[in-house]
Amino acid sequence: MDSVLSIKDLTKKYGRITAVNNLSLEIKKGTVFGLLGPNGSGKTTTLGIILDVINRTSGEYQWFGEAPSKEHRKRIGAILETPIFYPYLSATDNLKIVAEIKQVPTDNIDHVLRQVDLYERKDDKFKTYSLGMKQRLSIGSALLCNPTVMILDEPTNGLDPQGIAEIRKLIIEIAKDGKTIILASHLLDEVQKVCSHFAVLKKGKMIYTGLVEDVSKGEETIEVFAEDENLEQLLNDYEGIKNINFDHNKWIVSLHDGHNSITLNAYLIANKITVSHLVTQKKSLEKQFLEVLAASDE
Amino acid sequence: MLRLLKIDFKKFVNYRTFWVLMTLYSVLVVSIPTTVMEFLKWLKVKGANFNEFDPLRVPVLYFPDIWQNITYVYAFLKIVLAIVVIISVSNEFSYKTVRQNIIDGMSRIEFVGSKLSTILMLSLYSTLLVFLTGLITGLIYTPNYDFTDIFTGIEFVFAYFLDVLLYLLFAFLLTVLIKRSGLTIALLVIYLPLEYILTANLPNSIDFIGAYFPMHAMNNLIEVPFPKYIFQEIQDYVSMKSVLVALFYIVLFPLAIYKKLKQSDL
Repeated sequence: MDSVLSIKDLTKKYGRITAVNNLSLEIKKGTVFGLLGPNGSGKTTTLGIILDVINRTSGEYQWFGEAPSKEHRKRIGAILETPIFYPYLSATDNLKIVAEIKQVPTDNIDHVLRQVDLYERKDDKFKTYSLGMKQRLSIGSALLCNPTVMILDEPTNGLDPQGIAEIRKLIIEIAKDGKTIILASHLLDEVQKVCSHFAVLKKGKMIYTGLVEDVSKGEETIEVFAEDENLEQLLNDYEGIKNINFDHNKWIVSLHDGHNSITLNAYLIANKITVSHLVTQKKSLEKQFLEVLAASDE
Repeated sequence: MLRLLKIDFKKFVNYRTFWVLMTLYSVLVVSIPTTVMEFLKWLKVKGANFNEFDPLRVPVLYFPDIWQNITYVYAFLKIVLAIVVIISVSNEFSYKTVRQNIIDGMSRIEFVGSKLSTILMLSLYSTLLVFLTGLITGLIYTPNYDFTDIFTGIEFVFAYFLDVLLYLLFAFLLTVLIKRSGLTIALLVIYLPLEYILTANLPNSIDFIGAYFPMHAMNNLIEVPFPKYIFQEIQDYVSMKSVLVALFYIVLFPLAIYKKLKQSDL
């Protein structure tokens, strides 16, 4: 696969603070790459550097295997932090400026405005838009050049649940077109739902990188509850038990190899307990993320 | 270059403040000579007594005096254009649109270029407006003139162009350094007297350098013409030295702007 972005030993210092610390990263064509990390971990700074709005202290990066230039940025659809447009101009006028900068035809403007559901409001000034509409316009703007790569930094920031769902749907649709997407977010659920790869940053350092699908391959935990006071005793007596915790009105159980929810359920039925709640939990990215962060503190 | 101008112009098309300021500026330029002439006529009609002196015989707005006179006076109005430039540039910083322009694929040098092309257009527009106003005013009011009189002193129009261009570039530089429109306008206004106070207090041994300061360079292009009407000697030509000093700053300011932007994280 071709390399879309390759970052090598990138460092950015603000005085005594190191915002990005010796970061190396490789993103291949067609991946949906989640960049995770707590606030202030250097996600936006890294994206700012590869988009040439922030000067790097040291290190290198390449777009499509070439030294970076404005021509690459014209083929990239990117939004950083908040949606940025001329507030006194309409959506159409704002996108005309973007089209002129990217040197792409303006014919596409109506199409992208329909895609992000803003066509009806296209002649209204940007400053009259709600936050959700502003976010959608910025995604529309990023789509304008029919980009091969999209960079989305916290695209659902400040949105209501409906807005978040809309944006997520949009990202999944875009990803289906085979575009490479770099998504920075601290909403892990979101990254798990749309990304194929992810990396975790902390204090400017990359502390983990891997495939999202590998996260759920790890051990399973099972949630169990039954209206029976013998349940705790029976669970503790079960031969496959590894760990047991009570949390929010249910038992969280992890099992040894060779045991799973089916064998556990059979065991409970054999002991005359019918459960009212039995759920197999695969490991979430959130859990993995917290573990990675915790491990890095040690 | 044309593409960069087009980009910057699109930012203005539906920006009310821009059109208000430009209309105000244009109306001022066009109406001043008529107002002055009509005022002088009115004085005469009212029979104001100036010891048998006819106010219409003072050739303020007649060829060839008109060129130095109107370019000198109109140079004061360039503050309106400077405000247009300051708003245009400071908006890019306060809305952070400069950042998005770069992300979308502009280079920093193109960003500077797009603002410079607007500044060039504003300076050319202002010069053309002043030239046409001078030409029409002269043709209407000058009692008797030779064809050659019309274009005598036309070099003041060229000097006027440099004067406006230098001032607008200076406003651009200040905005890039300060970024806030109100503060920049205030500083632009107080900088000129500050520079004169500073140069007036230079020790004698080095006070010749005063002429090389930017606002001096700008003001030395067109010297005050009016003392000649009370029979004092004036500099009634554009000195080559002042043109060269002005050109130096016209090249220096854009370089300084680019250097500053190149170093900045946007």
